[in-house]
Amino acid sequence: MKQEQCSVIQTEHLTRNFGAIAAMNDLDLEVNKGEVFGFLGPNGAGKTTTVRMLSGLIAPTSGKATIVGLEIGRDNRAIRERVGVLTETPGLYKRLSVVDNLLFFAKLYAVRDPERQTEQYLRLFELWNRRDDLAGTLSKGMRQKLAIARALIHEPQVLFLDEPTAGLDPEAALMVRKLIETLRTKERTIFLCTHNLDEADRLCDRVALFKGRLLAVGDPRELKERLYGRRTVIHLAEAHAGLEDAIKLPFIKKVERMDNTLVISLSNPEKENPLLVNRLVELGAEIQFVKELRVSLEDLYLDLMEENDATD
Amino acid sequence: MQRIKVIVFKEWRESLRNKMILLGAIFLPLVMVGASLVMVYQGRAIEVPGAQVALFNTALMYFLIMPAIIPVAIAAYSIIGEKEQASMEPLLATPISDSELFLGKALASVIPAIGLTWASFGLFLGVCILLVGEIPPHVLNPPWIAVIFGISPLLSLFSVGVTLLVSSRATDARAAYQFSTFGILPALIPLIVYTSKKTLVNLWLVGVEGVLLIVASVIVLYFAIKVFSREQILTRWK
Repeated sequence: MKQEQCSVIQTEHLTRNFGAIAAMNDLDLEVNKGEVFGFLGPNGAGKTTTVRMLSGLIAPTSGKATIVGLEIGRDNRAIRERVGVLTETPGLYKRLSVVDNLLFFAKLYAVRDPERQTEQYLRLFELWNRRDDLAGTLSKGMRQKLAIARALIHEPQVLFLDEPTAGLDPEAALMVRKLIETLRTKERTIFLCTHNLDEADRLCDRVALFKGRLLAVGDPRELKERLYGRRTVIHLAEAHAGLEDAIKLPFIKKVERMDNTLVISLSNPEKENPLLVNRLVELGAEIQFVKELRVSLEDLYLDLMEENDATD
Repeated sequence: MQRIKVIVFKEWRESLRNKMILLGAIFLPLVMVGASLVMVYQGRAIEVPGAQVALFNTALMYFLIMPAIIPVAIAAYSIIGEKEQASMEPLLATPISDSELFLGKALASVIPAIGLTWASFGLFLGVCILLVGEIPPHVLNPPWIAVIFGISPLLSLFSVGVTLLVSSRATDARAAYQFSTFGILPALIPLIVYTSKKTLVNLWLVGVEGVLLIVASVIVLYFAIKVFSREQILTRWK
């Protein structure tokens, strides 16, 4: 029961085929309330199809899913009232003003005081001064901000963001990323589709890596640890032949040596590193630097994709 | 109902900023009213009964081209514009139902077409009185009134159905406009037949045209509504 209260998105064997092509196959997923969940996959992997299914826009071929306790297919309209969607392209009405774009959606969502809500969001997103300009005259970054404001205008419980920084220059992308950071609340769940792994690493509490099917789910740090373990890198002043064999500490999982650098796999580096350093000093090693080897989400992603392609 | 109204007003706001639609909506009725007035003005003095009838029937035909042509540009842009701006998906992500969206788009085209046709007819009658001193009896009679107030809305409805169907497959507003205009031509055939007749348009002819249009509209709108589902729009539309 407690689990059900926390989980806002649940999918079971969710599958969508287009003819003979499976855009999403057998997706089992659980996204909790208030988390920023990254959905990572290459282009054409089924991200948009998944968002469309989860936001009640298209039906799955098989399987089922619930969003805030509502079943897709059966409660689509109620789902659409409770979710906000930022599509891959902003999709603004270029001949309408900034304020008219937002007001139109506020009215469609039957927001209680659409004018006030529109003003509030335009001020929040620093677009109030441009309210009477045509949406077509805004910069790409501004358009994206307006599109995000549109997705939020009805205060949705779940926000789907499909490639929010795709096609933006670094400055605009940073602006949008900062904006997403500010959208984190305990009440709002953000489902972020991206192939920008750095973005996912920075923003997401948990990520799912997939390509047509789910490959891995978890906290980015946990995932990296699960797949690669935790490793400590030690730079020595000079190479010591046979040092790796001489260490002999019970907690060490693996030692690799490249010239004067040791890469040591540990399970609890916080506790084990001091012991390790003492042991190396005892063995006469002159330590220059000790640091943790950080694997990027990109490494993890590429390895998983490669593994998946090899399996297929 | 509220959401239909919101869609209709959004479409109008966009149409008012589209020169192609705006100019078409202003000039086409003026040209048609002008042409009708010429027909009636010439017809009033002609002694040969057959020729007079043909001229009056032709004047009436202009008031049937208007409700068929005006909504084409509005409806074509309302769909192609959404495609070009990639704005359809955010719209479909709102709680609006498929039927509300369809009705909103259709009414946004049908209402101005009917309104402009009736306003043009009013202008025509007014100028007719100024020019001729009276409205010729063959012009303001039951068949004419039935055509203006009964057939015109049906023609608009049929025209919008055809345009929405064509636009769902087209990617360019001009192509959609041209193909839709071609698509509504069959509905105008009975009118072209009127003008070649030597007898005045009568209620029987209007009735036949009305029944044919109702059947054609039901068929076209059935397919248009089927095409207008979220699933179809997102997965099948070009």
